[in-house]
Amino acid sequence: MASNKITKKDLNEMAVRSMAEQCCFSFERMQAVGFCYGMTKCFRKIHGDNNEEMAAAMENNLDFINTEPHMAAILQGLIVSMEEAGQNREMIHSLKTGLFGPLAGLGDAIWWYTAMPIIASICCSLATQNNVLGPIFYILFWALTAIFSRIWFVRLGYNAGVSSIKFIGDNAAYISKAAGILGVMVVGGLIPSYVSFAFPETLVISSVSVQGIFDSIMPNILPLGFVFLLYWLFKKKNVNTMKLILLVIALSVALSFLGIM
Amino acid sequence: MQITLVQGLLIALLVFICAFDKHMETFMWFRPLVVAFFTGIILGDVQLGMQAGAVAELSYLGLLTVGGTVPPDPLFAGLMTTVLAYTTGCDVNTALGLAVPFALIGQWINTGTNTFYAGFLPKVDKCAAAGDEKGIAKVMYTGWILYAAMFALAAFLSTYALQSGISAFVAAFPQWLVHGFEVAGGLMPAVGLALLLVVMLKKENAAYLLAGFVIMVITNCQNILPIAVIAGCIAYVNFTRDLETAKLTAASAATAAQEGDFEDGI
Repeated sequence: MASNKITKKDLNEMAVRSMAEQCCFSFERMQAVGFCYGMTKCFRKIHGDNNEEMAAAMENNLDFINTEPHMAAILQGLIVSMEEAGQNREMIHSLKTGLFGPLAGLGDAIWWYTAMPIIASICCSLATQNNVLGPIFYILFWALTAIFSRIWFVRLGYNAGVSSIKFIGDNAAYISKAAGILGVMVVGGLIPSYVSFAFPETLVISSVSVQGIFDSIMPNILPLGFVFLLYWLFKKKNVNTMKLILLVIALSVALSFLGIM
Repeated sequence: MQITLVQGLLIALLVFICAFDKHMETFMWFRPLVVAFFTGIILGDVQLGMQAGAVAELSYLGLLTVGGTVPPDPLFAGLMTTVLAYTTGCDVNTALGLAVPFALIGQWINTGTNTFYAGFLPKVDKCAAAGDEKGIAKVMYTGWILYAAMFALAAFLSTYALQSGISAFVAAFPQWLVHGFEVAGGLMPAVGLALLLVVMLKKENAAYLLAGFVIMVITNCQNILPIAVIAGCIAYVNFTRDLETAKLTAASAATAAQEGDFEDGI
């Protein structure tokens, strides 16, 4: 990278623009428009008034891409550094196509399946105690991570070069697996605290409380069983989300009508 | 309770801002906890907003946009859970169930734009071919603002314009139906958690689900953070071990290859 046209300020600006990565999302090419938009300012700086090069650089980044919005910043940093170094566009393109999948898996595991449940459950438990810190902490956490993760990721992609990003891509499986353990254990902890499924004390069969029977097997076994029932319906029976929600409502109304809930 | 015209307009403005964020999924202002909190402030009942936000947030936890599928909309769920609890005076758990049809409206807008915005692409391609980056930005902002405006309009109609109709409708419900929705509110987080598990649960980590569950049951702790810390430690130990195993496997493979060369040499 002999020519250093891209400054730290440009990279920071790209980090801000990277927030719009998902904008103009369409089923045809998913995040293509927003992803390309994030880099156009840097492309212009690299190519100056050369509109042909500019067009080629933009067209190279306008086809199908679907990755995780935070992680897109790494790719954008990497692509800009390669574009600046004047590397072959076909190589840039195939690298982009090869990396967005693993980065999406990694990003989903970290941000949506791990950070989201943990932060949401902490903030919701504050909110249910009528503590305004719940929503405020939630807003602050996501605002700070949205800004600083992108500033860091853009620099990571720009400075690290192809080999380091490949290292992340290669080890994405291990990182995702570790994040999976963290996330799944947290979900296990959330089940007893947030799913309320208990029969009323007044429901008795030959003078034994029905809920008492379940509690003597294992407290909160009904919520756990109910989550797995839904899991089974979704995974094995391909019931879609909307039907699942309607099913839960119908079941609840039926139980309420029969007076056993 | 009635929603005044000013409150209706403020809600539309709030939803415009939140939907603007929802389109990029950056600041998480479209999540129910945040939407409901600000809706509560607008309606003058912050506590209600936080209660409604907490139940809706947890129910829509697993309902994430994965691989282009569009789930029922968390923004409308947070908004309408608060608004319905406020206008009809019902419990927030009941309101959560009643808010489901409105979450569908958001889902339709989303699916609609995802389909419709493919029509913008030829224009984008033309701008790119001409080296006109400002043209691309213009198209993107058009789509972005249009999306937020549709959400704001839908929110205004479903909160201010429809309120008396909805209140009369809910008031006609028998007690068992209202209680049924309340039960459903308590069960709904199971949907979110089950959907999370569909993506996350694998043979290699299933044991940790039970461990997390049992720790929560026996400690009766109301806070998830201690479990998250334990889980983080286990995840870290696993990660370092996996890296080491990978290194050892690579090393032994290299040695095997070398030995192979040697034998071939003989």
